[in-house]
Amino acid sequence: MNMNDYKNKRVPPDWCPGCGNFAQLSAITMALAELKIDPKDVVVASGIGCSSNMPEFLNTYGFHGLHGRLVPFAAGVKWANSKLTVIAYGGDGDGFFEGTQHFYHTAKRNVDITYMVSDNQVFGLTTGQASPTAPIGLRTKTTPDGNIETPFNPIAFALNAGATFVARAFSGDVKHLKDITVRAIKHKGFSFIDVISPCVTWNKENSYEYFRPRVYHLENNDVTNFDQAYKLAFEWGDHIPIGVFYEVERPTYEDLDEVLKDGPLVEQKVHTLTEEDLEEFA
Amino acid sequence: MTIMRQNEVIIRVAGAAGDGVQSAGEILVRTFARSGLYATSYNYYQDIIRGGESWYQVRASDVKVKNQGDGLDILVALNQDGVERHTNPDINEGGASPLGKDGIAIFDNSIKGYTKRDTNYCPMPLADIAAKYSKNTLLKNTVGLGAAIAASGIDFNIFADVIRDQFGKKGDIAELNVKAAKEGYDYFLANYKPLGKKFKFGKKKYMISGGMAVALGAVAGGLKMYVAYPMTPASSALHFLAQHAKKYGVFVKIPEDEISAINTVIGANYAGVRAMTGSSGGGFALMTEAVGLSGMTEVPLVIYEAQRPGPSTGLPTKTEQGDLNQVLGASQGDFPRIVFAPGDIEEAFYLTREAMNIAEKYQTPVFIMSDLYLAEHYDTIDSFDLNFTIDHGLRAKDNEQDYKRYLITETGISPRAIPGQPGNMHNEDSDEHNEYGDVVSDAVTNPQDRIRMMQKRMRKMDTYIEEMKPTPTYHIEDAEYVIIQWGSTKGAVEEAVDILRSKGIKIGAIEVKNVFPLNPDIGTLLKNKKKIIAVENNYSGQLSKYISAQFLVKPDLITKYDGEAFYPNALADEIEVRIGKKKEVIRE
Repeated sequence: MNMNDYKNKRVPPDWCPGCGNFAQLSAITMALAELKIDPKDVVVASGIGCSSNMPEFLNTYGFHGLHGRLVPFAAGVKWANSKLTVIAYGGDGDGFFEGTQHFYHTAKRNVDITYMVSDNQVFGLTTGQASPTAPIGLRTKTTPDGNIETPFNPIAFALNAGATFVARAFSGDVKHLKDITVRAIKHKGFSFIDVISPCVTWNKENSYEYFRPRVYHLENNDVTNFDQAYKLAFEWGDHIPIGVFYEVERPTYEDLDEVLKDGPLVEQKVHTLTEEDLEEFA
Repeated sequence: MTIMRQNEVIIRVAGAAGDGVQSAGEILVRTFARSGLYATSYNYYQDIIRGGESWYQVRASDVKVKNQGDGLDILVALNQDGVERHTNPDINEGGASPLGKDGIAIFDNSIKGYTKRDTNYCPMPLADIAAKYSKNTLLKNTVGLGAAIAASGIDFNIFADVIRDQFGKKGDIAELNVKAAKEGYDYFLANYKPLGKKFKFGKKKYMISGGMAVALGAVAGGLKMYVAYPMTPASSALHFLAQHAKKYGVFVKIPEDEISAINTVIGANYAGVRAMTGSSGGGFALMTEAVGLSGMTEVPLVIYEAQRPGPSTGLPTKTEQGDLNQVLGASQGDFPRIVFAPGDIEEAFYLTREAMNIAEKYQTPVFIMSDLYLAEHYDTIDSFDLNFTIDHGLRAKDNEQDYKRYLITETGISPRAIPGQPGNMHNEDSDEHNEYGDVVSDAVTNPQDRIRMMQKRMRKMDTYIEEMKPTPTYHIEDAEYVIIQWGSTKGAVEEAVDILRSKGIKIGAIEVKNVFPLNPDIGTLLKNKKKIIAVENNYSGQLSKYISAQFLVKPDLITKYDGEAFYPNALADEIEVRIGKKKEVIRE
């Protein structure tokens, strides 16, 4: 298998030339190829937004659902069939506005899925409004005088929620993004990757050129040290860490649930109701 | 005028919330069921955990009882308020009659001032007897129940066994309760006269609530996952499934909200597992967008919608059928949907089970619409017919050549492929798509594909209509007048028909079990009638309007939106007025 085996040959990506999403498409397909996961065993679920068109361009099982609701959908898939590799892929508007509570609670439950967010600080598909991660001062269609709202911090939020794998990557560094993706998929539990993914059309202020000199690779951090990870989560500006902030092992929801721990639900027998079962109601 | 029958008893336990009214009522239902009688019940309670008045009515007979009835034989009042409310002829509790002539009122002898009226007041030392056995004041309920069992002529030993089961492992406490109950039983017989009821006891029955029947029907239909956020009155199904998760192999989860619940079960159904969600109107409102997601992506979905009176929080512990417009209108655009409304416990079981197959066959959302009355009241059944075959519908073969998830077919149904299946990788999309599932909405909008896909999806409704079973009817053959009814009003409507027929009025009823799509045979059933009357537990006659539009008829409308269920005699009176056989009845 190579990365092209994971791509839908009928449908080429429709993103703007230079869009960060191309890097994620490459990283996901390269990671799956490297991990030798059969395309039939992969589900990529998305919400609504530019980035969420991703499943259309893949030759895996895909589901392009509702804005903000990709994470519960993905959890449903995983709970139905824990043998599948489930990747939820969406945008920052999608995941950090409408999907916030789903993100929080699914991370808290430690459902074994990978959640990758293409974070460009704006709404792209709806033509350039400020998103929850928009920095103070960002001028967009909805913030003509500059954004005044404190930006959402995805890394700190994921850590607070109890995600067991928390990372940041950058679309301008595909090799690193791919490596992080491989680690995230391999991680057993809820893996979160926030990808700084410049929007070349609607966010001219936060471009590849802006981020490239500022990002640096996390290398010698202790990924099991929560306090250190939390501190790093607030490092932003001239120095922006990318890499794995936090990674620990904790039983997944599927490991702990009385029914799910007996194996993939889809392979479990359906209960046949008998007269004996009705005796309970006598 | 309510006629009391020799082979029927109606008992009401009344007290404050927290007095153990509900559990006392349930003990009675179980005792009747085990005695081989049919029983049904009605829990009148308020949205508070303690205080406030509440009562539980049980109606039992050796023939099937279809509703809680509007008479009363025996009152067990746990406080003075209970005695006053239910024996004062000037008070009409939610339509239920107070205790009438020859009725028996059992209450503690510390409650004074009740001697005369046309009722047999039977004060008893309930608290004193209870105090001999336990400090727990709730024990006086058991003493009162013992007296009620004596008054109705039921075998004490069956009642004793029910008490023992109720306390399960707490053997000593169970025996104390049995002894206290026996003293109540004996005291009553030594001091008062029983009602002299005559029952033909049959085979023991099963006792089950509508919510439990929905849950069991789903399990029988292959349910493997139930994800729902708590909301009365849908929660009885959730609780039952949570308690039986391991036994039935059903994964049960309360997520962060209803939006999560429905998207999670869509994910599970997409991945090949039968999954279901449930809520009441307020919670269902949050699910609305995802209903259309199921319709568009053609992922099977079963939703249990248990109604309570709205708008907004409304009357959380009361009953109504006011969500039909909401369910029919949920989500933008046109897409196929199927809505069932079971009329009783049996139908709740069979229709939910069938819904599991129908959803997968037609790959679209299917609703089970219930209400608080049906969901929460206990009823008895002889058994369920457990023969059933799970049919997964049209599935793709492995490694199909040029697999098209949304293949255009005559029936509108396309072969599904499930993740994990070799070779059939594809995308399912909330955007409009072509046969492959590739999006046609963005860069290359293709009107022809759009039209073809809309027609394909909607064609599933035509296919479904062809397989619909005839609309159930009740004494329709020679009927000059016909009642249209849907959902839990079935029992009251059928009994009203019986009452009116006994007066020589040729009346019948049709039960609209399929509220969407409507069965075309309804048009024929409504032809050439002197009058059509729709009976609905809502303000505006939601089904009636919709039937009027489809079949060009103009039903007269009897509605009730006080939060209570219909009572059969009151309903019969009102119908008589509407068909001009009786002058208007003045009611409180």
